[in-house]
Formats: sequence, structure tokens, C-alpha cells
Amino acid sequence: MLISENTKLAEVILQNYHLIPVVSRFGIELGFGDKTAGQICEKYGIDKVFFLEIINAFNDKSYLPYKKLREMPLSVTVDYLLKSHRYYNKVKLPLIEKLIEQLKWTGNADKKNKDVLKTFFARYRKEVNDHTANEEQNVYPYILELEKNYYAETPDADFTKRLNDKSISYYADIHDELNTSLSDLKNIIIKYLHPADNKEITEQILTEIFRLEKDMTDHTKLEENVIIPVAKKMEDKLKRKIN
Amino acid sequence: MADKVSFLILEKSYVIRSGLLQIITDFPETGKVYELETRKNLHKTLKKENPDVLIVNAKLTDDIPDFITVIKEKNKNIKSVVFAGTKRANDNFPGFDLKISVDEAKNDIIEKLKKLIRSIRPEISEDTNELSEREKDIVKQVALGKTNKEISEILFISIHTVMTHRKNITRKLGIKTVSGLTVYAILNNLIKIDETKPYG
Repeated sequence: MLISENTKLAEVILQNYHLIPVVSRFGIELGFGDKTAGQICEKYGIDKVFFLEIINAFNDKSYLPYKKLREMPLSVTVDYLLKSHRYYNKVKLPLIEKLIEQLKWTGNADKKNKDVLKTFFARYRKEVNDHTANEEQNVYPYILELEKNYYAETPDADFTKRLNDKSISYYADIHDELNTSLSDLKNIIIKYLHPADNKEITEQILTEIFRLEKDMTDHTKLEENVIIPVAKKMEDKLKRKIN
Repeated sequence: MADKVSFLILEKSYVIRSGLLQIITDFPETGKVYELETRKNLHKTLKKENPDVLIVNAKLTDDIPDFITVIKEKNKNIKSVVFAGTKRANDNFPGFDLKISVDEAKNDIIEKLKKLIRSIRPEISEDTNELSEREKDIVKQVALGKTNKEISEILFISIHTVMTHRKNITRKLGIKTVSGLTVYAILNNLIKIDETKPYG
């Protein structure tokens, strides 16, 4: 389904619940009534084109919106990425951690299974934290500075000096590894973990992992298809301009 | 890791081609799938891609005597599947390894193709996912935090062999990261939780 500004947002969500956290990241709250995507964007002051491109891209694998997204200010995409980082670190990861804590086995298995899962997940959570913190402290500020200087009539000399030995390619570090750990955890729970006594918690954990994985894959796609190529182009042009 | 099974579908009708494609992409063993509408580039594609399986509509073989025999002379290991329409469903097609017909139920077609795929790649059949004793040794060492080089010294095998084992382990278990393998090792009592440095 192609989502346009005239599509009712309620229908979009009814059709694909994966978009709930995405919509929420834009600050949109449930209770849309019969409002269309366009009307909602107006109400919340959201860039309509960006919003539609994002939800279409995440809704339909074969939808290729990157061209349009690449034409938008990088700061808009960066802002979205920041919000998803917050969602991973502050909402999803703590939630899964809490669920793991609730798992129960009979006898000795309880401590062993829980310890091993908790250790694995704590380490994963730290990996995500470190990764996102690096992007927030180094990569994103650099991108924003790059964009500012790219459009400036006279680029900042300090920045251009640094440009020669800096490049977005250094940051083309991808979330793949993070997703590999999630995939491992899925395999472990599905194939090798002795079933917990409260299996509904196990099912909940798995569902949350699948959702997180999907969200992170979409996140990576934005970085790979929008942030990195656009920044690369800006760097090249800027370097040509100053050299 | 064993290579995936590649297919070439020679079928004029888009609808039928998509249907066949849908069925074969459901198999986990399926790798690349090449599609041809006509025989025009058939021999070129067979030579270049050397697919494991050729699926061809019976109609496209009728006017050429020895159609499949000629192909098998060049692509010696190719498995051939003939796809027959309603009228030809009961015909025999000598030379072909398998016949499927348009009237067959989904399950029957899937079972037949599954058997064919298993015969091509017996090593990726379902029941070989258990780790060998040697592979268990390797998992244990990985979980203890040893590098490939250290493992090769401890077990008196080459680094290359260690890497091959590790690839097979990952394929069998579906676990790629060291942390993941460590969890596996602990859950399966290959090591104790306090033996691992970061987990202790």
C-alpha cells in the first residue's frame, strides 16, 4: 500500500503495527480519529514529505524513496535518527532486560540460564549504547557542521582544515554487528534455551527482539542510503571548492 | 558452507514463471534463480551460470529432438525438471529427472522438488546440524575467549582448519558472535559460567 497525504493514519497503523513506534517518534500520539497523514503532519508541525517518505520506506521493502530523502536537509534525518536512538536505549532495551529478569526456571537452571542471558544482553545493551553515543557525540555533530559549511558562502576555515583528514567513510560503521547479536539471541532462545516455566515471557521477549531488529534494520538503511552518500558528496564538493 | 542450489526457469508465461519462482524461493537451500522467457539465450545462460536445476515448460522442448540429452552432455550434473500443462500431464518425458504438472497440488510439487534438492546437496539436509565432537571442542575454546591462533595451538590443528570448523559451527547453530557461542557453550554445559572471563 502506498501511503499518501490523503491516507488516513489510523488505516496505516491498522495495516502495519511496526509503524507504531515510528509514528510515535515523530511525536504523534494515538487517537488520530479519521485524520489523514497530511492533516496530522500539519497539526504536529512535521515535514510532510519526510514523514511520508519514512513511513513508506519502512512499510514497503520495495519502496525506494531515498532520492527524495537525499534532497532533504540532513539535519531532518539526523533528528529522526537521534529519536530512534533514544527509543532503543531508553525504551526497548530496558524493556527486554526487564523481561529477561522475569524469566523463571525450576531448580538450578534458573540461576544459570538467567545469568547467561542477562550477561549476554547487558553486553549487547552496552554495545548499542556505545555505538549510539559515538554517533551522537562525533558523527552527527560532524554531519551537521558539514552541511552548514557546505551551504555557507565562505566555509569555516577551521572546519575545512580538518576536512582533509576526516571523512564520513570513517563513520560508515554500520549497525550490522548489532543486528548479528540480536539474531544470535533469537537463535539461542528459539533453539537452545531450555523452555522457561513462564513461557509467555519468553514469547514476549522474542516478539520484542523481532520488532527491535526490524526497526534497527530500517535505521541502518537510512544511514547507508541517505546520510553516508549525501555527506560523502558534500565532502567531495567542499574539498574541491577549497583546494 | 555448502553452496546454495541455483535454478534456471525457462517458461514463456509470466504467471507460471512467477508461480514456479514462488515455490522454489521458499526452500532454504535455494540460491540464485535465473529466468528465461524463450530459448534464445538458453545455451549461453547454461554455459555461463551452470545452474544446478533447469525447469522447463514441456512446450518449449517438443520441437527439438533430444532437447534434454543435448543439454546434459554439456551440463553434466544438471537436474532437469519438465513442467507439463493439463493435456500433457500424463505423458512421459524421457531424459528428465522430474516431471511436475500444472494440475498438481502445492504439497506434491513441493515434496518432489524437495527430494530433488536434497539429492543435489545431501550435506545440507536437516539432520546434520548436530555439532561433531571436534566442533564442540572448538566452541568450548571460543567460549573461553581463545583466538583462532591459540585454538590451533591447543588442538594441534592448522588455523585454516579452525576457521573451517568455525564456519561450519556458525552454519549449524545459526550463531555468529563470540558472545552468542559463549551462551551456547554454557547452556550446553561445554563450559561453566565462571570459566569465562567476561562472564565470571
